[in-house]
Amino acid sequence: MGEEQVVREIGHDEYDPKGTLALIGVYFVILLVMWVFMYFVEFLGNELTVV
Amino acid sequence: MNIHNYEKIWLMAAILLIVGFISTVTYGATAVGVDMISDDGGTVNASALDEDPRFSEPRVEQVGENEYEAYVIAQQFIFRPDPITVPANSTVTFFVTSPDVIHGFEIVGTNANAMVVPGQVTELTVEFNEPGEYGLLCHEYCGAGHHTMEGSVVVQPQDEFTQGGDE
Repeated sequence: MGEEQVVREIGHDEYDPKGTLALIGVYFVILLVMWVFMYFVEFLGNELTVV
Repeated sequence: MNIHNYEKIWLMAAILLIVGFISTVTYGATAVGVDMISDDGGTVNASALDEDPRFSEPRVEQVGENEYEAYVIAQQFIFRPDPITVPANSTVTFFVTSPDVIHGFEIVGTNANAMVVPGQVTELTVEFNEPGEYGLLCHEYCGAGHHTMEGSVVVQPQDEFTQGGDE
């Protein structure tokens, strides 16, 4: 209480949320894998496709 | 406008993803040849199917070398003919219609999956390679006996195949 907090100001380009980037990267990779699996394995790999 | 680097990365990745989705579907439609269920079959008088030249006698009929047409009636609560017998290594075009209510037509576990609407003829073409047997299901609720509405598609070795209709 009453103690002065340490405040550090950083500019727009110095703000680098690496954790968030990594998390979104992981989500993105999951999305890519699910896309490839769903379309190329589950859909096209399923016999009797309508031609 | 000052856009953060990470945001630029994300925007770019999202755009690539959309382009990727669209090219995947384009690839499927062109290179692989995946088609849509069509309504090219036209219409029929649902209350007089027995007078219709195509549906008076549900059957599988040969129309070319390794090409067959199957005329199928989905009705409460059966498919006719049952089983639908087709030869292996053939291209079969199904024409399916209904005399009563909306039914489903799904060759179980495959992408051959359509709706059957009274008065409309659903047309879908598939290729059968190996001999075997598929289940056939109605997946649109069509009445009290919906859960019992099933049939089968029997793919016979080519030399054993004999043309037939309702038996």
